[in-house]
Amino acid sequence: MSAVDASVLIPATAAATPAPVADEGPTRWERARKVVLPALLLVAGLALWQYVTATGKIDALILASPAAIVSAFSTSGGEILANMLVTLGEALAGFAIGNTLGLLIAIAFVHSDLTRRTIYPLAIAAEAVPIVAIIPVLILWLGNGMAPKIFIAVFLTFFPMLVNAYRGLRSADTDVKELLYTLSASPRQVLFMVRLPASVPFLFNALKLTACTCVVSSIVAEWLASSEGLGFLITLYGARYQIPEVWATALTCTAMSLCVFGAVVVAERLAMPWRRTAST
Amino acid sequence: MSFRFPRFPVSAPVRDTGPMMTTTMAASDPGPIGLRAEAVGMTYRRGQHETVALAECSLDIPRGTWASLIGASGCGKSTLLRIFADIVKPTAGVATLHGLSPAQARANRTFALVSQQSTMLPWRKILGNVELGLEVAGAQPVERRNTAMQMIELVGLAGFENAYPHELSGGMRQRAAIARALTLRPQFLLMDEPFGALDEITREKLNFELLRILRETGATMLLVTHSISEAIILSDQVAVMTPRPGRISHLVRIGFGHDRTAAMRDDPRFTACEAELRHALHGGAPLH
Repeated sequence: MSAVDASVLIPATAAATPAPVADEGPTRWERARKVVLPALLLVAGLALWQYVTATGKIDALILASPAAIVSAFSTSGGEILANMLVTLGEALAGFAIGNTLGLLIAIAFVHSDLTRRTIYPLAIAAEAVPIVAIIPVLILWLGNGMAPKIFIAVFLTFFPMLVNAYRGLRSADTDVKELLYTLSASPRQVLFMVRLPASVPFLFNALKLTACTCVVSSIVAEWLASSEGLGFLITLYGARYQIPEVWATALTCTAMSLCVFGAVVVAERLAMPWRRTAST
Repeated sequence: MSFRFPRFPVSAPVRDTGPMMTTTMAASDPGPIGLRAEAVGMTYRRGQHETVALAECSLDIPRGTWASLIGASGCGKSTLLRIFADIVKPTAGVATLHGLSPAQARANRTFALVSQQSTMLPWRKILGNVELGLEVAGAQPVERRNTAMQMIELVGLAGFENAYPHELSGGMRQRAAIARALTLRPQFLLMDEPFGALDEITREKLNFELLRILRETGATMLLVTHSISEAIILSDQVAVMTPRPGRISHLVRIGFGHDRTAAMRDDPRFTACEAELRHALHGGAPLH
């Protein structure tokens, strides 16, 4: 990292000379250790798991063996994948709508004090509603398709985004605001040139917070009433005592959640190139 | 931008080698009207409590000349500058920029403000930061880029236009801030301790660079500083301010022309100016 910084500070003609390296980077072993040790632990854990289940020390109904879970993937993989797409669709739709809504309301808050004073108390009150408790009502209103799941995901993602975006939009420092003021910038220019770029780190905080939440909320809603999706599949397999399938589905949920979160992290890096070269 | 810098014969309002004159309060130097403060006052009220930040400040800076406000912290020098920049509204008196009110001048973008913090947008590269003013003014992208590059070259930052602000030193960032201020070809440069955060060596180097830039652009400048030597290097007149209430106690003319070089520091007149300003700052009566 120090080499990158130094090369920028040195004019192009001098850039050919190697930049001094302040401290030695991690050695090969130190880098490999980061991957090898957790991998070893994982393998050891799996081996122990396979041993206690295969030898019958723990009943297969209580804990499916890793081998059984793998074979569940091969027999029911297609079904799991098809239902995963349903859950993913619900989660992403809720994620997108909820975050957009939160951001738009935050922008409205920044520009109109009246809007903020009117809506903020209600938004806080709505946040206090234990949404899971009213899922039966939502299903009554919206049916047992994707709509209530998306609604819940929207409900859960919108508030963290609202709070973070509102803070982010106001985070630009006074000097920058004064600069734009002396330039006679319009509120719209201030929004697009200063407020929104300054809020990007805050927006990603909210996105990271809600990336997993929207997956969880979709699954919970599917448990209660649905005819498709991973949550539905878990209850179905559970009722049929297909324990390896239950585990396979749960692992799929985890992988999906990780992918959504990972996508947000990658997007964050891409969205803030100025942070990549930051020394701190 | 189609308009150009207004150029005035640099020697017109300034006596090249004339004797140093010290006058209290307003100076009456003939010349085109530039920045003018007439009995400007600023009083903050908080309930029953009143704080007088500025009292009866009058100042006349002809166009094309350079002036400094110098004084201890809290003497209101920044407040006076911010009144010209339309950030603060005075509670008494009138401030004008070439006859315009600060609000009108701001709407016309006839002045540019440079503050102590270089105020860069961290997500924009140097070029993008320098282009900001033109972008706000609605200039076309090609023109924006050309003007910004021209100003980046003028301040000696060529080759760094694609660096992010945090990759540059404080001095380089301040150069970029000056470049940004110049892109709109302002008639007035309002500088609030622009080099206050820099070390002595960088500061002095930038002082003489700014001199060159001022000569090339013909802009009128008001500088707020707490450095005596900076005030002398960069001014035709220095207004000394005293605190509680903030007022202009002395006005010292700096009798160097605009063709200044680093050698001016060795001139006996420089030392004399320094002594005079030091006495004025420490509450003494004018020397002459």
